[in-house]
Amino acid sequence: MKKKQLWLATILGAQLAFTSPAADTNDTNRDADLAALKQQLLELSQKVQALESQRAADLQAAAAAAQTQNQDLDQKVRILARERELDQEAAAAAAKSAPRLQVGPGGFIASSADSNFVFSLKGVLQVDSRTFFNDSVNKNANDGIILRRARPIFQGTLYRDFDFKFTPDFAPSSGPTIFDAYGNYRYAPWAQLRSGKFKTPEGLEQLQEDVNISFNERSLASDLVPNRDVGLQLWGDIKGGLLSYAAGIFNGVGDEQNSSNAAFENEVEFAGRLFTQPFKSSDLTALQGLGFGVAGTSQNGTSNTKDLPTTTGGTLPGYTTDGQQQFFAYNPAIGTVVASREHWRLSPQGYYYYGPLSLLGEYAISDQGVRNTTTGAQAYLQNTAWEVSGGWVLTGENASFGGVTPLHPFDPHNGQWGAFQVVARYAELNIDNAAFPVFANPAYSASTAQAWSTGLNWYLNKNIRLNASFSHTTFTGGGASTGSGATTSPGVVTRQPENVFFTRVQLAF
Amino acid sequence: MPNRIQKVVCASLTAGLLWAAAAVGSAAESKLLNVSYDVTREFYSAYNKSFADYWKTKTGDTVTVSQSHGGSSKQAQSVVNGLEADVVTMNQPLDIDVLHTGGGLLPANWSSRLPNKSVPYTSTILFVVRKGNPKNIRNWDDLVQSNVSVVIPNPKTSGNGRYSYLAAWGYALKKSAGDEKSAREFVGNLFANVPVLDTGGRGATTTFAERGIGDVLVTFENEAALVQKQFPDEEFLVILPPVSILAENPVAWVDRNVQRHHTEAVARAYLEYLFSDAGQELAAQHYFRPRNQAILARYATRYKPVDLFTVSEVAGGWQKAQQVHFSDGGIFDQIYQLNK
Repeated sequence: MKKKQLWLATILGAQLAFTSPAADTNDTNRDADLAALKQQLLELSQKVQALESQRAADLQAAAAAAQTQNQDLDQKVRILARERELDQEAAAAAAKSAPRLQVGPGGFIASSADSNFVFSLKGVLQVDSRTFFNDSVNKNANDGIILRRARPIFQGTLYRDFDFKFTPDFAPSSGPTIFDAYGNYRYAPWAQLRSGKFKTPEGLEQLQEDVNISFNERSLASDLVPNRDVGLQLWGDIKGGLLSYAAGIFNGVGDEQNSSNAAFENEVEFAGRLFTQPFKSSDLTALQGLGFGVAGTSQNGTSNTKDLPTTTGGTLPGYTTDGQQQFFAYNPAIGTVVASREHWRLSPQGYYYYGPLSLLGEYAISDQGVRNTTTGAQAYLQNTAWEVSGGWVLTGENASFGGVTPLHPFDPHNGQWGAFQVVARYAELNIDNAAFPVFANPAYSASTAQAWSTGLNWYLNKNIRLNASFSHTTFTGGGASTGSGATTSPGVVTRQPENVFFTRVQLAF
Repeated sequence: MPNRIQKVVCASLTAGLLWAAAAVGSAAESKLLNVSYDVTREFYSAYNKSFADYWKTKTGDTVTVSQSHGGSSKQAQSVVNGLEADVVTMNQPLDIDVLHTGGGLLPANWSSRLPNKSVPYTSTILFVVRKGNPKNIRNWDDLVQSNVSVVIPNPKTSGNGRYSYLAAWGYALKKSAGDEKSAREFVGNLFANVPVLDTGGRGATTTFAERGIGDVLVTFENEAALVQKQFPDEEFLVILPPVSILAENPVAWVDRNVQRHHTEAVARAYLEYLFSDAGQELAAQHYFRPRNQAILARYATRYKPVDLFTVSEVAGGWQKAQQVHFSDGGIFDQIYQLNK
């Protein structure tokens, strides 16, 4: 604007400068010209001002429009960003509701998002070797490598509260056998109902998972308790296991026996167990792993043979040693023995775990009514057994009833070797003196077996474990070094102490 | 083993087990899970502490209450699907009814087990606007202006969204003397101004207050107060429209779960405490309108009078509202699809 005004002033000045002062006659014209020029100047100035105002207004409007546009754009960006955020949240929520597949140390597990439906495939494989030392010539063929357990385990949950488990075993030489096959309704942790084939709630060591027992074989105390049976059981853990109970009705099986899945007799066996871990939830850490309880069974049976340990002797299961050799059988010189009338068991039991230390003990009484079918003699035989075992995890991991989990799983490339545990056990089983000679032959069966064992367990990781142990069992009574007792079962076993070295390779997931 | 030793062993064990049983009986530490809707976090956080103190004083027992929050209907569905709530504190009865119809988790008459149809406090729907109220938003009509962006949670997943929707619907019905066509058009125009549909009320707050989206947030009264408190620098303003909806927030214990958890007594006491003076006072402090009129009167300056209509008045009750408006293919789906 200033340039234009200067230009107009210069023109006006020039016109004034070239006007002659003598030409008075032209003054009037000059004034008019001057006025006209002033008017022109004014108009021009106004025009410039108008243009400038217009331009300022245009700029302001443009700025306002730009600001609005920016705000709109900003909102759009924010909205897009938020929508993306919400999409991600929705995707995360959808992922949570999608079925889950999991493969790990716990096996293969498939579950619905809400865990109401769970299917898992697990397995146990145990390959053992047994080497007997100084055994009689008649039993020198008992060394060997055996497939002790080969069990796929299929278990899971249906509709949140219904559990099931199915465990066949393909290891027995007699063919595949069903071990666990049951359904379980979980109303609450403290009120559950189980039906099918499962472990009778009796022996503590028997109730410990096969993969977690300290030695290859359970102790002599487990000879006097039932194994798995078919029945119905109400059970539960109160206050997170502070007190556990189980009460059930079963078909009833002989000591250490597995059910054959069917029983056709009128009488049933009642079984019950109470177990407490009173300090489990307390601050007394040294006592948190203390647990003790009592269990028992009772059955008023009709006369039969299957409720006894096998009467035929030999290598069939019955009262057996750590090396799984029978040392007692109801095979008297005259007659056949059958179970008769009442059979009850009682088993006080307890354990203590603190850091790497583990202690477990139980006492078992099996009071069995028997009858000699030939002589008609009857008696109640009270057989008793007990065991105490202990262990120490050399590498410092915590021991528990549920096993040992290595802190540093086997990985030699990184200097990790897993966990090592030393274990020791003493056990004995006493046969009621009244068993001899009417119900068992003292020339073959031992009246007492006493066993000590020691071993080393190497936990490579949560799934793989190697065991090595030695067991020494001595007998009172039983077979002699000569005569029929030296060659007839179970005299062939009891004629000398049993010394057996075990190894095991265990894969469990 | 001689019989005497057996008897001593058995007697000792029996005594030990009895002692353990007694210990189990006397050990009293309860845990509750309160599954609630999105905007009650702060209230129940304070309430849980108050109740735990009360329970300890009354019984000597310890109770720990965990909270779970989300869109009301989503939360209800989670409980049906297995989330083991001991108590549910929802913002509308439909989300408790579904626990009966969808899973038999509680009886059909759950609302009759506590006073006031199991509604310990109420709320309403109002507006939160930005500093200075630049769009001059005062009433529901202002929300349907073409230059106004409104933040409301999804009525299909959130009770907050349903109440907001029904508040707008009710206002339009009143304005048009009950003309549903006008109401439908009004609500359609309103949701045309909603740029983002959050699944719950707290998400909508995040969208408005933290993400800076929209000119107005439509939400519960207590959430509006919380927005002001949590974002003082933003200088948000709370606008109470002349007319809005009465939001009744029911509660119930979940029978099936409390039986499983053995928490019937403490769960029931937890909810009954909501109706006590202490519970009502806490509710009022957290911007829920207490049912106790004396306590409500003490907070008269906070709870300004507003013309409130009920869900029954504007939609024939929750069942019908659900069927007509919020079911798949219902009016909300129709208008929202149209606007997309």
